[in-house]
Amino acid sequence: MVEFDNVWKTYAAELGSSRNTALKGVSFYLPQGVTLGLIGANGAGKSTAIRLMMDFIRPDKGIIRIQGRSPSESSLRNAIGYLPEIASFPASLTLMDMLRYVGATHGLSKDALSRQSERWMRSLELWEARKRPLRSYSKGMQQRASFVLALVHDPELLILDEPMSGLDPIGRAHICQLIQALKAQGKTILFCSHILEDVDRLADRLLILHKGEKRFEGTPKELTDQYGTTDITSGFLRSIGMEQV
Amino acid sequence: MKGSLLRIQALARLVIVDGLRRQALLGLVAMALGVEISGLFFFAFVPRDIGLVSSDFVVSIGWCAGMVFLLFHAVGVMSWGEDRRVIHTLLARPVSRTEYVLGVFGGLLALLLLLNLLLGFIGFGVLWLIKGWVGESYFSQLNLGGYLLSWWGVLSIEAMILSVVVLFSGLIRGNFTVLLMALSYYFISNGIPVALETVREGSPVMRKLLLGLTLVFPNMSRFDYKDLIAAYGHWPATSTLALNLIYVLIYCALVLVLAATVYGRRDLK
Repeated sequence: MVEFDNVWKTYAAELGSSRNTALKGVSFYLPQGVTLGLIGANGAGKSTAIRLMMDFIRPDKGIIRIQGRSPSESSLRNAIGYLPEIASFPASLTLMDMLRYVGATHGLSKDALSRQSERWMRSLELWEARKRPLRSYSKGMQQRASFVLALVHDPELLILDEPMSGLDPIGRAHICQLIQALKAQGKTILFCSHILEDVDRLADRLLILHKGEKRFEGTPKELTDQYGTTDITSGFLRSIGMEQV
Repeated sequence: MKGSLLRIQALARLVIVDGLRRQALLGLVAMALGVEISGLFFFAFVPRDIGLVSSDFVVSIGWCAGMVFLLFHAVGVMSWGEDRRVIHTLLARPVSRTEYVLGVFGGLLALLLLLNLLLGFIGFGVLWLIKGWVGESYFSQLNLGGYLLSWWGVLSIEAMILSVVVLFSGLIRGNFTVLLMALSYYFISNGIPVALETVREGSPVMRKLLLGLTLVFPNMSRFDYKDLIAAYGHWPATSTLALNLIYVLIYCALVLVLAATVYGRRDLK
């Protein structure tokens, strides 16, 4: 479903900073119906990998394929639900305004949009707040609103950049349940997170990046077996050359 | 094609709704309307040519409000991507970057049109009242055709500046820099006709160079029709008006093609 083949990405130097190679020949494959946890320390290249998949940035070298197509084909995003790391909306719009935009761009019928919107807004407890400006939402509400926008067109592939970011324990539990429900529906999910406990709970496969390089790709069990650890946190730390913190 | 138009329309609608709910924009409209209406009280201080002065005043208020809109609101909306990554939220849909450029441009242009329609309508009322209050010798005519043409001229200039703002936003990071570039563009555009006048008898090379520059920096004064409102000025030929219209359309189209190319190639970090 998602394929990276020897992908390189370097950000151009800006005033006061040097060129930064964010991805160094990364290759991986995410099969359909599998949940992949993308983990790594800050600056590992996780967000770069996600932005490449969304075609926000372009690779310098290498090939990226999603469903066998290039991410630059905008129609491909009919099959993708994207959750950004930081929920960002035009300041004065409501969730309903954004849903209308999503419906129009994905070519959803009025009926389908209304049905799907209501389903997800009720499920994520945003129904009462749907006509309030998004800027008045709490961080957790904004994160849930982003989820509604990512799911309303019923995508086959979900790309979630830090889905638990800024959520309280109840919010985290709620989102974990949601991701598990989506897994059960057979969705292909790629998510990155710093919270390894959540990754362990949700991911079928792991991809560890460190300073732009791939350090590990496989199941959580393969990680613990390979590094002789009992949990993925220790396995992750060993994979990036840190025995202990 | 139809799908593409629907996506552009959806984005334009989003920009319009966002603009209509922004308090800063509503404040700008309220202030411009207030200043326009204040013309009713200040015309008495004008000793002669009240018609010319008040029509110039009304159209200039619209022009100023449009510039504030362009330099602050339009620049702010175009920098969505850089500042708050809103562009990622919008482009996570099956919207191409060309559609994004056209949708945002379309939305902002529609807001400008609304602003000009509102200020133009109220402004006409102000001029009509002033004309009714003063003698024929102070305000000889209130030409509706000239009035509409003046606002069309204002909108034409604003549309060209808007397309340039869209282009600069793709080329440069940071909305303050875009604002400065847009202002420089405006001043250069206004300065070239003056420079041309200066070198009328001078070097032909310099004159050709300046004429060439007018292709990039349009001569804004050709869209100034304010004199037609209250004075029996020389009405421009239909061919000139048609040429000006074609000029604006081609200019905006070319700049938007360039902007779409820039947006299509750049990284949206």
